[in-house]
Amino acid sequence: MGELYLESRLDFLRAMQNPDGGWGYFPGKQSWLEPTAYAMLALHGTPGSEARLQNAWQLVRSWQTADGSSRPTGQVSSGTWITAHVVTLACVRKVYDDRVRNSVDWLLRIAGAESSLTNRFVSHLHVVNTNMDFSHKGWPWREGNSSWIEPTVHTLVALKKVAGQYHGPELRSRIRDGEALVFSRRCSDGGWNCGNPNVLSFDLPSYPETTALALIGLQGRNANELAVPLQAARRFRQETKSSLAKAWLNIALRCHGDTLDAPVNDAKVFHDVMLTAIEALGHPAGNYQLLRTGGLA
Amino acid sequence: MTRRQFIPLAGVAATAGYASFKMQKPPKLSDGPAGNSAVAIVRARSYSEDLAGRMLEGVRQCGLDVRGKRVLLKPNLVEFDSATVINTDASVIAAAVELFHRLGAAEVKIGEGPGHRRDTLDLAEDARYRASIPKFESIFTDLNRDDVAPIKGFAGESEFYFPKTVLAADLIVSLAKMKTHHWAGATLSMKNFFGIVPGSVYGWPKNKLHYIGIPQSVVELNRVFRNTFAIVDGVVGMEGNGPIQGTPKPAGVLVMGHDLVAVDATCCRIMGIDPEKVEYLRLAATLGHVHIGRIEQRGETIASVHTNFALIDEFSKLRLA
Repeated sequence: MGELYLESRLDFLRAMQNPDGGWGYFPGKQSWLEPTAYAMLALHGTPGSEARLQNAWQLVRSWQTADGSSRPTGQVSSGTWITAHVVTLACVRKVYDDRVRNSVDWLLRIAGAESSLTNRFVSHLHVVNTNMDFSHKGWPWREGNSSWIEPTVHTLVALKKVAGQYHGPELRSRIRDGEALVFSRRCSDGGWNCGNPNVLSFDLPSYPETTALALIGLQGRNANELAVPLQAARRFRQETKSSLAKAWLNIALRCHGDTLDAPVNDAKVFHDVMLTAIEALGHPAGNYQLLRTGGLA
Repeated sequence: MTRRQFIPLAGVAATAGYASFKMQKPPKLSDGPAGNSAVAIVRARSYSEDLAGRMLEGVRQCGLDVRGKRVLLKPNLVEFDSATVINTDASVIAAAVELFHRLGAAEVKIGEGPGHRRDTLDLAEDARYRASIPKFESIFTDLNRDDVAPIKGFAGESEFYFPKTVLAADLIVSLAKMKTHHWAGATLSMKNFFGIVPGSVYGWPKNKLHYIGIPQSVVELNRVFRNTFAIVDGVVGMEGNGPIQGTPKPAGVLVMGHDLVAVDATCCRIMGIDPEKVEYLRLAATLGHVHIGRIEQRGETIASVHTNFALIDEFSKLRLA
């Protein structure tokens, strides 16, 4: 059921690949690593795709910088959080060479600036009236900025997937600490927003897409810890008006073992390459399993 | 510690660094550039009025000429919540599209890059933009995920990236919403330019701007992009804990002008906020006019449309005497 739903999306992705091997966020636009990563995951293992995936992988690797990070597109000179996706792709493609090790080293070197010694000291003195817990290290969108849920979660997925190949004591402690940061940023309604559960005395609401992403990053954690967020995610899936949120919720809930109805075949006209790839990943016959991870023993 | 010093640390807007803790005296308010600035206030009591006609009055009063220009309309599209007044109303954008075509613009596009939500097209759907604006999808660009190019000299950065759609525009029109803001005091036409910074490079939210400083970023964006015009949607604004969790506040006006500093200062006065106490406007006073004596009010007077917007306790000191 819903086979056309999946095939139409995969066909669209095949048709939208740029001559350089990557995908843009939208048809006819320059290639970016983010939509390229999701398109590669969606097409992974599908018949006749390996040559196009190899081209894409070469482009992705060409965006690695000297410090091990990856640029989000060829037009941007410095690396970002997107490096996490490169490590995940490397694991999916079973590539564990020195360049991937450099990417992992970069991810382990980076932490949100709020966890700096200065800010932790200020927090300890209660100079700042905040509920934020600055004791955990997550990951920022860009080096030198604060930790947020989405880059932290993508890095957790990457590090959990590469953990079996990378033998360093810091990797496991960063995963544990990153998970702790995600838990510490949960909103009072049970889910997560971008990573800011309150402003001064005001509680802020969670978002469906970041709740889904947080659950993907927390795979392997105790079921009791995740019961309330999973309830929030199931509620969001019924209520959300965001196609992107629904696609991420399908992936997250399937990764946590929920059996969801297959989407009905649709005649949607696609405009958004990244959304289309994530929708394909979240189909019951899609590649959402590639984002499955275990926990740490 | 004051709210201002707290901002970079707060909510992962958090922790911008130790420099943020320095206690700074507010800078002396600049006299602004030479000459005066025209700001038009026109009444619009509801979104069902002839908004294009109202806008035309204000545009003419400000002497705006868009003939042959590539115009980019920048609304304030923030959240999935069509029942509230978070976003610039769809009818205001539709009216602006119609008006600028009528005035001879070579091209009229719409672009927005929301700060927190990534699903911009569905946000636009929920805000009735698709339903209200003809050929919406062919003229709309998600600025968070547009192709980008670098510019030099933004906030001291060697390179800062902006969407090509923004860089290609001859005129950027800030179609902002008249709202209070729990960090900046008010969010109007100038802060609306946060939405031209691409999330694909700087994230959701655009945390780099928090590290530069919210008021400083507002000023930098408006220093770099000078070919601008503002139309602030104050038909129904937001008061209290804005820009998201506040409550609707009918003000019944559209406020327009070339000088976005003067437009925002005028909006503040309409809202009962002293613009000379709003940090970003103090910093921006070299770019445009904050002093009431340097603003030529066209159309309605401030006194005739003034209505105090409720302020959260932390901003009660901003109330206009």
